[in-house]
Amino acid sequence: MEAVLSVKETKMDGKMESVLSVKDLNVVFSGFKALSGVSLDVYDGEIVTIIGPNGAGKSTLLDAIVSKSPVFSGHIYYHGKDITNNSPHAIARMGIGRKFQNPNVYNELTVFDNILLALKGTHGILASIAAKLTKAKKGKIFDVLSRTGLVDQAFEQVSSLSHGQKQWVEIAMVLAQDPSIVLLDEPTAGMTADETYMTGEIIKSISKSHSVVVIEHDMEFVKQIAERIVVLHQGKVLAEGSVEEVQSNPKVIEVYLGHETIKAAA
Amino acid sequence: MANAVMGYKQSSFPTKLAAISGIALLIFIILPFVFGDFQLSLMSKLLLFGSLGISLDLVWGFTGILSFAHGVFFTLGGYASAYYLKLNLSADSNTYGGELPDFMVWNGLETLPWFIAPLKYFPVALVATVAVPALFAYILGYFIFRSKVSGVYITIITLAISSALTTFFVSQQAYTGGTNGITDVSKLSFLGSPIPPIGLYFIILAFTVFVLALSWWLTQSNLGLILRSINENEKRIAFLGYDVAQFKIFIWTLSAALAGMAGGLFVPLNQFISPVYLAVAFGTQVVIWVAIGGRGTLVGPLLAAILLGQVQNYAEKVTQDWQLVIGILLLVVVLFIPNGLMSLLPKQLSLANLSKPKVLQTSDAVKN
Repeated sequence: MEAVLSVKETKMDGKMESVLSVKDLNVVFSGFKALSGVSLDVYDGEIVTIIGPNGAGKSTLLDAIVSKSPVFSGHIYYHGKDITNNSPHAIARMGIGRKFQNPNVYNELTVFDNILLALKGTHGILASIAAKLTKAKKGKIFDVLSRTGLVDQAFEQVSSLSHGQKQWVEIAMVLAQDPSIVLLDEPTAGMTADETYMTGEIIKSISKSHSVVVIEHDMEFVKQIAERIVVLHQGKVLAEGSVEEVQSNPKVIEVYLGHETIKAAA
Repeated sequence: MANAVMGYKQSSFPTKLAAISGIALLIFIILPFVFGDFQLSLMSKLLLFGSLGISLDLVWGFTGILSFAHGVFFTLGGYASAYYLKLNLSADSNTYGGELPDFMVWNGLETLPWFIAPLKYFPVALVATVAVPALFAYILGYFIFRSKVSGVYITIITLAISSALTTFFVSQQAYTGGTNGITDVSKLSFLGSPIPPIGLYFIILAFTVFVLALSWWLTQSNLGLILRSINENEKRIAFLGYDVAQFKIFIWTLSAALAGMAGGLFVPLNQFISPVYLAVAFGTQVVIWVAIGGRGTLVGPLLAAILLGQVQNYAEKVTQDWQLVIGILLLVVVLFIPNGLMSLLPKQLSLANLSKPKVLQTSDAVKN
C-alpha cells in the first residue's frame, strides 16, 4: 500500500487533476463480486497498465467505466463529472474510447469505413445523412491510418486482414474518436513479437496526447510501455506502482507464484 | 498513398448505374402503352408491392430487423385512403344515399365517427396515409428498441402485432367493415374527373422511383454505413458514440411511412381494402420479396415482387395448382440462391455492387 500512496502523492504534489477517477467501485454478477472496492485515478497524459491473473476483474473494470457492465455501488468520475451507469453512447461521446479484447471491428466494411464510422463528430441521424466526406475528414482518417500502419490496407475489407492488423484497426478506430482517455483491453493478443513491439510504440505515441489505460498480460510488453502499473487480484487492487515496485512487492510475488510471465520478467 | 487520398472522390451517382436506371425507367414509361387494361393494373399493383418490399429492405436488409408487420403499415395507410374514397362517393352511388358509408349503416351507426369524419378531406387523408402508420410504428418502435428487445424477439412481436390488428379490425365491423373491409369506394379524382388507369400507373411509377431514390440516397450516406454496422454488431457501435435505438426507431418509422404511402395508393387502384392485408400471410409475402430479390439491394425486392406477381399471373392461367409452382420457385431460390436474385447478376453489372457504399467503388477506381 505504501507504493500506492507514494505514487498518488507525487501526482497530487504535481497538482494534477485526474481525468478519470474510480471510487470504491463494486460490480456484482448474480451474486459474484467481480470488483470490490476498486479505486483508481488516471491522470492527464499518463499510461496506466493493469495486470493481474485471469478473472481478476481487469476487463470488468473497463466494462464498468464504459457502462458495458452495470455498477452496483461506487462512482466513476470523468473530469470531475459523475458518469456512473450513463448510457454507453453518452460516455463514448464525452471522450472515453474503448478497444475490446477480441478485435471488435466491422468485418464486412473496409478499413476506411471502420475509421469513418468511429470519427469524432457525426453521431446524430440528420448529421449522418448530411455528412460530407470533407478533405479534413479524409486527412484525419489517413492520419490515424498512418499512425497505425494501415494506409496500404485502407480500402481492403477488414475480414481479409490478419488478426494483428484487425487489432490495429480497432486501435485506429479508438484514435479516430479522439477521446481524452483511451482504454485498451489486451491490444497485443494474438500478435507476433514484431507486431507487439510496434503496438507498444503506437501506444507510447498515443500517450503524448491522450491518457491511456492498458490491460496486458505480456510482461515484456508491459516493461516497454509501463509508467504506472496497477495489479488487480480477485476484484481488488493488490498493488500499484512502477514496474520495479510492483515486481518486488511480496503480495504480488505471492499471487503470481509459479506464474511464468512475472517470473520471466523478474 | 498520396494517390489513394487524391483519387478518393466524394460519392457521385455512378455513370453505369445512371445508364441502367435510365433504361429501366424508359421501359417502365413505354410499357403502359403496350399493355392491355389487365396488365396495366397488375403492373401498377406490383410496383406498389415492390415499393413495400423496398421499405422492408431498409429495416431488414440494411439494419437486420426482420419484420412481418410491414403489411400492417401498408394496410393502415390503405384504410386512411379507403375512408377518403368511401366518404367521397357521390350521394347517388352510395347504396343508402346520404353521407354514411354502407357498412356503417348495416352495423347500426347513425353518425359518422369523429375520428373518421376528417378523412373526407384530401389533405387530411393524404397526411393520414403517412402519419397514421408512421406514428403507430414510432410508438411500437420506441418501446421495442428503447427496451433493447432484439433479434428474433422483435420478429415475434411483429407477428403478434399483425395477428392482433387483424382480429381487431375484423371485430370492429361498424368502423372498419369487418372481414369484408371497405369496398365499393369511389375512384380517385383530380379536379373533379376520375384519374384514368394509365394516370394512376404513372403516379404509382413516380412514387416507386421516389421510394427507390430516397432509399438509395439514404443508404449511400453515412446513415447507410451506420445501419449496416448496427446489422453486423449493434453493441460495438454504441461505444463509438451512436445511440443505436435512435437510429433503429428512425429507419423503422421512415420505413413504415413509405409502406403506408404505398398502401394509400393501393386502394384507388384495388378499389378495396380488407384485413387480408393486415394478416401474417401478406406480411410474409413482403418478407419473401425481399428474401428472393436479395437483402440490402433495394432493387431486388422490387424485381422480385414484379417477377413473382407475373409468374403467379401466368401460372394461374395454366394450372389450378399455381400455388405449387410459386412454392417450388421459392424453394429453389432459398436453397440455391440464398442471397437472392440480385446476387446472380455478373458482379460488374450488379446493381447491388454498384449501389454499395461509395468507398468500395472508389477503392476499385483507385486500384485500377
